[in-house]
Amino acid sequence: MAEHFRGELPRLLRILAAPAGFLPLGPALTLAVRRFARRKPTVFDRLGEYGKCSFLIEPSDLDFSFLMVPDGVRSEVKCMRRRATQPADVTVRAPLLVLLGLLDGTLDGDAMFFNRAISVSGRTDALVALRNAIEDAELTPADFVGATGGLGKLVDRSVIGGLGLARRFTGSPIHGEPS
Amino acid sequence: MSLELVCPAGTPSALRAAVEAGAHSVYCGFRDETNARNFPGLNFSPDEMIEGVRFAHAHGAKVLVAINTFAKAGSMEAWKAALANAEKAGADAVILADLAVLDHAATHHPNLRLHLSVQAAAATPEAIAFYADTFGVKRVVMPRVLSVEEIAKLNAAINVETEAFVFGGLCPMTEGRCSLSSYATGKSPNLTGVCSPPEHVAYSEDRNGTATRLNGFTIDRFGAGEQAGYPTLCKGRFVAGGKTSYLFEDPVSLNAASLIAAFAKAGITALKIEGRQRGKGYVTEVVRTFRAAVDAIDAGGTEVEVGRLLAGLVEGGRQTSGAYKKTWR
Repeated sequence: MAEHFRGELPRLLRILAAPAGFLPLGPALTLAVRRFARRKPTVFDRLGEYGKCSFLIEPSDLDFSFLMVPDGVRSEVKCMRRRATQPADVTVRAPLLVLLGLLDGTLDGDAMFFNRAISVSGRTDALVALRNAIEDAELTPADFVGATGGLGKLVDRSVIGGLGLARRFTGSPIHGEPS
Repeated sequence: MSLELVCPAGTPSALRAAVEAGAHSVYCGFRDETNARNFPGLNFSPDEMIEGVRFAHAHGAKVLVAINTFAKAGSMEAWKAALANAEKAGADAVILADLAVLDHAATHHPNLRLHLSVQAAAATPEAIAFYADTFGVKRVVMPRVLSVEEIAKLNAAINVETEAFVFGGLCPMTEGRCSLSSYATGKSPNLTGVCSPPEHVAYSEDRNGTATRLNGFTIDRFGAGEQAGYPTLCKGRFVAGGKTSYLFEDPVSLNAASLIAAFAKAGITALKIEGRQRGKGYVTEVVRTFRAAVDAIDAGGTEVEVGRLLAGLVEGGRQTSGAYKKTWR
């Protein structure tokens, strides 16, 4: 595993997170994305033809990665060990907390690119489309677990608060501070 | 309100973020080649524009619709539809550059308030008077090649409002007249709404860092940890005279926050923040910071430390006051 960079999870957390790669994260995330597609189909309209593209998302501080095809209600997410490299139209690599910040709109993708907190390769047009679709989606942690109402708000508050603390603790790039 | 803060929105959620962060006005465009930020997945459908205007008006903010590319000869339908959809949405103004689009708007949509885009590059009293007298243009966005003193002189010689860029991506060329990306990709912001179209941009990494390619041409290479910029030819690094350098302009963002009081004194009506292609995180932080800065100057208070507060958001990790202070090389 790579040495510790600013914004990456500390070694102890990485070790604790390692077994998560063996959980059925792929099927769970596939269900979550499809559920979201049924609730907010316009988000996937933004992707247009790029919904058929494959996106390999590599948290640089974890030993596993995600391969996603965001094709609306036919979306699919696979979780795989890092060594099981698979070709993809786009590859995005960044610390987990940065990736989550981009997902919920807390962090700005261009700023993370300027600061070299993320690296990308493959089809830039597909990545730009996905970024813009995610930006408009206003995703919250509750969307991923299917929680709504009061429970959804509780999940959002807890996870967002936790992520904010984690970013400060790990020195993850935040706005106003170049990394 | 002494200075109007005009803020970017590439998506409906960014529009809501801008309004909630304190934007007086938000500018945005339709999802096609009629606006100069025609990126995949960005911009508004006609229905989203209606909803966006409704939201902004409910919160006391205005919406300005950018229809600021140049119409194709013999094929103006998209621009005509954009004007009709902007009026239907209840837009407070449209931002135009092309003479044919301006003429169509003035003739067929007389109730639409017309602003002249920076893409029209109108920088003289004569040019501005032509647009005002011929089409009824009410506001002109200043090309980013003028100093504050030049804008003050211009304002004394014209009878329309002026709007000046205050923060964000800095185009070093005369807008509307730059065809640099056309040479490499066949597309330009003027005609298709994209500078460095993303389908032509590729990044690759090796032990020396990250190489940026535009349609196969390597235009820059960043070492590990070196701050990066946008993949545009004008911010590329080239060899000339035996030296490798940023030939046209460094990767750098405009930040004219220190000139807000001077802008007000120069008679400028509105300050514009660039960045319709940026995320909600950028929009929220930049709008909130500049609203505080404008309010502080308005109240006779001290300057807000905008440069420090927004340092993590700027291109290449650097900020400049650009041509406003005339300190370019």
